[in-house]
Amino acid sequence: MSDIFSFNGASGAGWAQPDPMLNESEVNATIPDGLKRSKLPAWPNASEPELVRHYTWLSTRNFGIDTGFYPLGSCTMKHNPRINERIVNLPGIDRLHPLQPEHQIQGILSIFYEMQEMLEICSGMDQVTLQPVAGAQGEFTAMRCIQEYHRENGETHRDKVIIPDSAHGTNPASAAMCGYQIVEIPSRDDGRIDLEALQAAVGEDTAAMMITNPSTLGVFEPEITEAAEIVHSVGGQMYYDGANFNAIIGKTDPGRMGFDAVHYNLHKTFSQPHGGGGPGSGPIGVKAHLAAYLPTPLAARRDVSESDPKGVGDGYWYTWETPAKTIGKVQQWHGNAGAVVRSWAFYRRYGRELEKMSEHAVLAANYLRHIIINPDKETLDSVHAMPVNGVPADVVMHEFTLSLSPLVEAVGVTGKDVAKRLLDYGVMSPTLYFPMIVPECMMIEPTETESKEVLDKFAADFLTILGEDPDLVKTAPHTTDVRRVDEVSAARNLILRHPNGTE
Amino acid sequence: MDQLPNLGREQEMLTIMGLNSIDDIFSNIPEHIRRSEPLPLRAPQTEEEIWHDAQRLLGANIDLDSRPSFLSAGLARNFVPTMVGAMATRGEFLTSYTPYQPEVSQGMLQAMWEFQTMISELVGLPVANVSMYDASTAAAEALTCAVRVNGRKATQKGVVYVSQFVPPHRMQVIENYLQGAKTEIRILEHSMDGHLDLKAAANAAGSCAVYVEQPNAFGELDAGISNLKSIVGENTAVIVGVDVVSLGLVEAPGNYGADIVVGEGQPFGIGPTFGGPIYGIFACAKRYLRQMPGRIVGQTVDVDGKLAYTLTLSTREQHIRRHRATSNICSNETLIALMGAMHMALLGPEGLEKLARRVAASTEATKQAVLSIEGVELVDPKAANFREFAVILPIDAAVAVSFADAAGINAGLALGEWWDGMSRCLLIGCDERTSQSDIEALVSTLSQWISEVSA
Repeated sequence: MSDIFSFNGASGAGWAQPDPMLNESEVNATIPDGLKRSKLPAWPNASEPELVRHYTWLSTRNFGIDTGFYPLGSCTMKHNPRINERIVNLPGIDRLHPLQPEHQIQGILSIFYEMQEMLEICSGMDQVTLQPVAGAQGEFTAMRCIQEYHRENGETHRDKVIIPDSAHGTNPASAAMCGYQIVEIPSRDDGRIDLEALQAAVGEDTAAMMITNPSTLGVFEPEITEAAEIVHSVGGQMYYDGANFNAIIGKTDPGRMGFDAVHYNLHKTFSQPHGGGGPGSGPIGVKAHLAAYLPTPLAARRDVSESDPKGVGDGYWYTWETPAKTIGKVQQWHGNAGAVVRSWAFYRRYGRELEKMSEHAVLAANYLRHIIINPDKETLDSVHAMPVNGVPADVVMHEFTLSLSPLVEAVGVTGKDVAKRLLDYGVMSPTLYFPMIVPECMMIEPTETESKEVLDKFAADFLTILGEDPDLVKTAPHTTDVRRVDEVSAARNLILRHPNGTE
Repeated sequence: MDQLPNLGREQEMLTIMGLNSIDDIFSNIPEHIRRSEPLPLRAPQTEEEIWHDAQRLLGANIDLDSRPSFLSAGLARNFVPTMVGAMATRGEFLTSYTPYQPEVSQGMLQAMWEFQTMISELVGLPVANVSMYDASTAAAEALTCAVRVNGRKATQKGVVYVSQFVPPHRMQVIENYLQGAKTEIRILEHSMDGHLDLKAAANAAGSCAVYVEQPNAFGELDAGISNLKSIVGENTAVIVGVDVVSLGLVEAPGNYGADIVVGEGQPFGIGPTFGGPIYGIFACAKRYLRQMPGRIVGQTVDVDGKLAYTLTLSTREQHIRRHRATSNICSNETLIALMGAMHMALLGPEGLEKLARRVAASTEATKQAVLSIEGVELVDPKAANFREFAVILPIDAAVAVSFADAAGINAGLALGEWWDGMSRCLLIGCDERTSQSDIEALVSTLSQWISEVSA
């Protein structure tokens, strides 16, 4: 065990830089009296050879999609093609400033325009902005647009947002940040939207409903257009959480379902790497009546004219455009352009065949669910208790939920125990205890980039665990870098930084 | 299309499930909302074709390294050590999710804990989070955090003060984030010399927070800001937005009373990359910790007593607290923060100071050279500058920028784009890579333009 502060190189002997343009006293004279730094930060004194080894060592203590199967429900952990990383290192994106004049950035503007258009087509929306940098920021941005739309119509009394109890936590958090009150409606026993509860919840004070489809249970809401009608009938807007967009591309779209606004997670559906928690990218698309409120600027284009300098050669001249009633900015520049470029490269790989991507994502989820819940007799006899479906459904979409309650009742092994034991088998744990409406919930999303063999192996390992010695499972993991981590103590006895420098 | 391991094996898998066709697994989608026609998009491409198009399209952009450039405005035309990209794109880091399973995520957790420590040291405050989206959302969420902490004791309820010289795009982000709680934003005035008006600042006492930048939007350092805490008092948060590199020379705001420090982390770790992904830093005093937005890593032990790291204080966050969460932030900029940590570690304390000296030196050298041009004046002649300075030109600065552009130079930002009434002002940004020949090119083109327009 070592940490970065244990390197003991001599001061200033690390990574070398060219000398400043002016001498020490000339530079010192540029800092006002009373503002000169009194003591340099206690950062490590380390050299490149030491740091390469340190970070390589840390990387071996981290699990990514590249390491193994990552069936983390709702997160769409698909393979990240490596060409995308090579592309974002080109100087034409890495060394670009967002305030350069349009003629210097025709290439990136054309990519932005192509991505806006592609997302519009796939979602049935009229205008997309790429500015929000995460799914949650996309939600916030869309709710701000809806808020301004209502205000513009003189409907400032609309102060409530309706959200099903199975929704992602970001939905209520984003709406609350806009100043909305949250009305949570319960799901039906089968996990689907309760139209009667929705009807009872809507009214003149309804600003919007936020919902994802397929739902967080991985099931398509067949009555989604009826829900949209109910919300629209009282003047509310329909917001689509695009976390589960990977399930439906080319099959249906939020526009057809009756939605007015949607966010996309480029870091889920379009393979921007998750990077241990980010960066993400959360563009939003809206119907025409909301387009004027979008953040500024949007990529636009016109036919190239003779007076234009050289463009990208496709007959168009690309420009920035400010929506008429824009809410302004949500990120200070143009969003996570690097993520947009990676996702552009990913999209280009599929083109009009994106539908195949969704087909294979849904195929993998259904296959995995089938082989887990229909084992052979021998396996069935060997487990303490079989999990049950989170909700009854003949088929699911891109993910599914299992309840491990029967296992808890049989031998006291919890979902968390099984999740930790899976780590010993070299796979990442599925999403645990979400959605909260399913007891002992495990949410499994294999994605389209896992082979049948990987799915078979996971199902076999999973079922093996269900039959293992309960004590072995309850004390798992056993083979990881550290064993079960004391999170309670971490929160009680906060150690949030190295004592280096403060001793 | 080569990303699907089960391509061509669909029937085999369907048969095992007792199904006949792919349509069977989409049977839950009602007919009336099905898409029946193919997506009107282009044909799939191979990796080789995508690379070709990427080179062609991105090659049509004019990158900052291809010409003298003085465009900064909050982003640095930095040099990122090669190790950073090589290490950060190791698949174990690049393709991992938020470390919800600490037992198999010790690498990223420890790297982020080390990042928190380096940021804490840099700004002089005890705790830092794992990153915000950018400097603007960090500033906005610092204000909402301060309102939550100080709301009850504040005598100016629901009121925050924001410096007059915060860039307008940041101000728009702040407005979007603050309007939901109906927080009133009042403007903290600056004096004619560009410095914060400390007498006017006294009006902010008893409000929830003040937000100032050091240096401000014109790159001006202001020693008066170090007196701000004593002016506004204990129950008003002093939030300082910083240029992270400047802190190699300039005092850490935590050492002059700042309660929260935010800023753009981009100079450490990643190129300007068209404005994203970048990352906001966020550090605070203990008093603000439990209302802090974003993810935090803590040190603990495992069941065997072995040192371990884990995400902590999660009960602040949206996935637990839902609409009562301190923020809606979920995905952040961890990978870019990791790149920042690597860059900071390579620099070390003396390397940071040297980097700051290089930027300060090129700023001063450029300033003196540009001032030697007849007809050019500083907006604030007495101000000390870091990275940027603003000058007044004889006529419209946007015209000067176009003139220089045609000569192959990015001269800076015409400030008329930001503020009405500043159309003759040019914001010139420098960095560690500004060379003597860049400065000569800038001086030469501005001189030529001025002699042409004044002729």
